[in-house]
Amino acid sequence: MRQITIITLATIALFTLALTQHSGGVYKTNTGNISFFSHTPVEDIAAENHKVKTAFSSANGKLQFSVLIKDFEFEKALMQEHFNENYMESTKYPKATFNGIIENINTIKTTTQGIYTAKVSGKLTMKNVTKQVSTTATFTVKKDIVNAKAVFNVNPADYNVKIPKTVINKISDNIKISIDADYAHQH
Amino acid sequence: MKRTLILAISLLVLGATFFAYTSLNKEHTDVATAEVLQELSAHELFAAFDANQEKATLKYAEQVITVTGLLLNKDLSNNQEPQIILAGNGDDGFIRCGFNAEYLQKAIALVDGDQVTVKGLCKGFNDAGDLDLLTDRDVVLSNCILTTLDQPET
Repeated sequence: MRQITIITLATIALFTLALTQHSGGVYKTNTGNISFFSHTPVEDIAAENHKVKTAFSSANGKLQFSVLIKDFEFEKALMQEHFNENYMESTKYPKATFNGIIENINTIKTTTQGIYTAKVSGKLTMKNVTKQVSTTATFTVKKDIVNAKAVFNVNPADYNVKIPKTVINKISDNIKISIDADYAHQH
Repeated sequence: MKRTLILAISLLVLGATFFAYTSLNKEHTDVATAEVLQELSAHELFAAFDANQEKATLKYAEQVITVTGLLLNKDLSNNQEPQIILAGNGDDGFIRCGFNAEYLQKAIALVDGDQVTVKGLCKGFNDAGDLDLLTDRDVVLSNCILTTLDQPET
């Protein structure tokens, strides 16, 4: 009788552990991509960052990003310099962060391969200014990774980015931010 | 007199054009040939940012430095920028070094536990503050090159 009880308890414990690992894990990467694109009739400006730190919890839907502003790479060195020194003041404000939630996390099966649409909302902080943002993301569950892609737009003025009048026609007030991250399960 | 004035104006316009051209086409820092601000260990670099992020950012950010440390692992999950991680401080402090995509094969050849020396452009400290899912903290280097590759002492 005692033996059966022990076996039953052990089975329940193992089952619980397996269930926890599959349904309530943290998925993370330090090599996510964020790019932005500014289009105006005068000039297109693009930059990329490939060391974005981001994670989400499949248990409660928390989704977080932390990105170093100085690590955005531009094609032109002068643009990069102006971006850091004049617009983003990246020595004073070195990071941008996002702290949000995947609202429909319950519909995303991170153990079942497929493509899922996620509603994401949260607080985006840049230059010490925090704004609520929301977007739709696509989560693609593959064998070993969960890929997330999302696109949203920001207005630099909302984050206290001051554009001098002399170049205002070169920088869009609706900058497209694209995210592409491959998350791995954290054991 | 008039000829001198025309010559002076022409030289001024030429100079301004040259200045504008060189400014607009300024090259990115070439890490391979750039002068090194400082040579330091991975522990020293991490400790500097950990102690005073603002001061360390002012000192090291956008500067070319050489960092020597223990290779913890390779993170080749982003084929646009292969990365390696050096031990910075315990379980949550690292030096994350990014290479150009052409460096992938050299990065693959590295072995965890190697003592490596990396020359790169310091970008700052990515600690996620109060974001509870992102507890590890990285000093970030970009455009890195491997200057030496020493086997660990046996």
